[in-house]
Amino acid sequence: MIEIKVSRKLFGSNGELQLVFDTTIRRGEFVTIYGPSGAGKTSVLRMLAGLMKPDSGSIIVEDQIWFEKGKIDLAPQQRNIGIVFQDYSLFPNMTVQGNLEFALSKGQSAEIIDELLSLMELENLRSKRPAVLSGGQQQRVALARALIRKPKLLLLDEPLSALDSAMQLKLQEYILRLHQQFNLTTILVSHDIAEVARMSKRVLLLEGGRISKDGSPGEILPLENFRNFIDGLIS
Amino acid sequence: MLDFEPFYLSLKLALATTVILFIVGIPLAYFLAFNRSRWNVLLEALVGLPLVLPPSVLGFYLLLAFSPQNVVGKFLDDFFDVRLVFTFPGLVIASVIYSLPFMIQPVQSGFSMVPRSLVETAYTLGKNKFTVLTRVLLPNMKAALITGCVLSFAHTIGEFGIVLMVGGNIPHETRVISVVIYDEVEAMNYRHAGVYSSILLIFSFLVLVSVYLVNRRALKVHYQS
Amino acid sequence: MNCQAQGKILVAAASDLKFALDSVIAVFKKKDAGTVEVTYGSSGKLFEQISNSAPFDMFFSADVEYPKLLKEKKLTLSDAYIYGVGRIVIWSKKIDPSKEGMKSLLDPSVKKVAIANPAHAPYGKRAEEALLHYKFMEAVKPKLVFGENISQAAQFVTTGAADIGIVAYSLALSPNMLKENGKYFLIPENAHKRLEQTVVITQHAKGNALAQTFLTFVKSDDAKKVLAHYGFK
Repeated sequence: MIEIKVSRKLFGSNGELQLVFDTTIRRGEFVTIYGPSGAGKTSVLRMLAGLMKPDSGSIIVEDQIWFEKGKIDLAPQQRNIGIVFQDYSLFPNMTVQGNLEFALSKGQSAEIIDELLSLMELENLRSKRPAVLSGGQQQRVALARALIRKPKLLLLDEPLSALDSAMQLKLQEYILRLHQQFNLTTILVSHDIAEVARMSKRVLLLEGGRISKDGSPGEILPLENFRNFIDGLIS
Repeated sequence: MLDFEPFYLSLKLALATTVILFIVGIPLAYFLAFNRSRWNVLLEALVGLPLVLPPSVLGFYLLLAFSPQNVVGKFLDDFFDVRLVFTFPGLVIASVIYSLPFMIQPVQSGFSMVPRSLVETAYTLGKNKFTVLTRVLLPNMKAALITGCVLSFAHTIGEFGIVLMVGGNIPHETRVISVVIYDEVEAMNYRHAGVYSSILLIFSFLVLVSVYLVNRRALKVHYQS
Repeated sequence: MNCQAQGKILVAAASDLKFALDSVIAVFKKKDAGTVEVTYGSSGKLFEQISNSAPFDMFFSADVEYPKLLKEKKLTLSDAYIYGVGRIVIWSKKIDPSKEGMKSLLDPSVKKVAIANPAHAPYGKRAEEALLHYKFMEAVKPKLVFGENISQAAQFVTTGAADIGIVAYSLALSPNMLKENGKYFLIPENAHKRLEQTVVITQHAKGNALAQTFLTFVKSDDAKKVLAHYGFK
């Protein structure tokens, strides 16, 4: 169970924005944060990860207080999360194997590496450097790496926007597969309607710095776009 | 008849200075790159001073500081039997101060150019700042590190004003190649001066070519991904 | 850093001695196994360095004053010995000073006149005195360029950076200047204070026997002959 109740003043291209994010997420849920650019979606993830400090509020993850204004502010190292950014995810100076080994915590067995490599179908890329991998392959490795430490929370910040649509579909399958396999609490940030509709059962619509709607994709997404999406599926 | 000892002295000085700057410069550049406080501006200006100050000003203050007749120099002399004027160790310290910006600025720039997401991802993977520095940051900014080392090295070889003031042109100790060239010109041994200068010119040129080559190669690799 | 075991001394010497002292040392080498190293500079600068504990064992100044000041500071081991009297000359590649004598400084083609910096070079002070003696100072002052020491002043004229200069006689007689095909005029001795050049052993040479050995050699006839060759009386 994750209780997030944070607020923060953001400065963007549209001027100042007061972000207020207040919600509860159940263990194992797959939630998407959807909204236009500059809405503050990435900031929410960064605050969860400990990379940005909220102005006020608290974050409690499975009865562990990660943040409480004025009292506690756990460093990212101490919150057990996995995060995948849009690009520049992999360490260029390490091979695929190296990237995954780097993620191991002290004393952790390397078995998990083999398990994830096979799950993501990356075995034959073990000794390759990120520079020679395609965008889709890189993000697959990034996903695998994010899970090495068996995190409590998986945060995905528009991980597929830099990929072409065929690749996006494939990666979406991988993410869903991982979610099922590990029962991960997952928060996905996306501005792509089709992706949102496809991936999650619960969507948080972030508008003007607040959660304006909270429900299933069908309830939240504009009706005509939803229809277009269905038509797209059929054709 | 060429004397090669001054070359050897210059190389020794440049090598010692570069190694010290590498060890001292990385933490300092890291601090400047990642600590976004207001005081940074002051510290950066301080680090950059040797770039704009005439060598004679810096040399003057160093001479004052190191002279056995003043507080610091006297203390070193009385308690450690160490002299920093007219000695090679004193010259190394002076060179470290004088070449500081040549190491700090490229390295600080290198730190800022490593994508922030790499550093943040590493933090979320539970790695502490030191591990991130040694396994994520430094390996991904090799060009900046090399540039810093090469520029510091080359700059120290070419140093003259401060070397003369603080070193005193003592044979076998502080008589480096830049001072020898000056001496030869003064003694009107123009041919000797010319030979020494040509060697130094070619050396410096080669150093710069190698820096640019390394940087081009690094950029190529970066763009590939 | 006591070098007495190896028989080595470090000498600070005025720039006008560059060739004269090098020759003296070359002769000394034939008789003694000790090593004599020299750092040349303006007397004033060297005096400053020695006062700040620069590691020189002997100081050959281009005057009497600086060694005297050192003695007052209790930084000397020996008395000052006059090793020679120097002279100054007007030297130029552009015009022939031997024809016009002092007046060559006023020649209309002369734009820059090089002398050593009077602030810390005795030869510069003597040049100034000569200019004042002949009442040329006002005319020449705007054209003056100052060399760090007498060697640099000489270098200014040989390279043509200055059209004419007042330099040390000993330098004018050196092989490097002779091959530059310039001409010189010996400035009369009464135009300036006597250029009595003195040498002194410093405190740094304490316990180093080579310093005294070398000083004794400098006083010898052989050394005097070499110095005379470079114009020192």
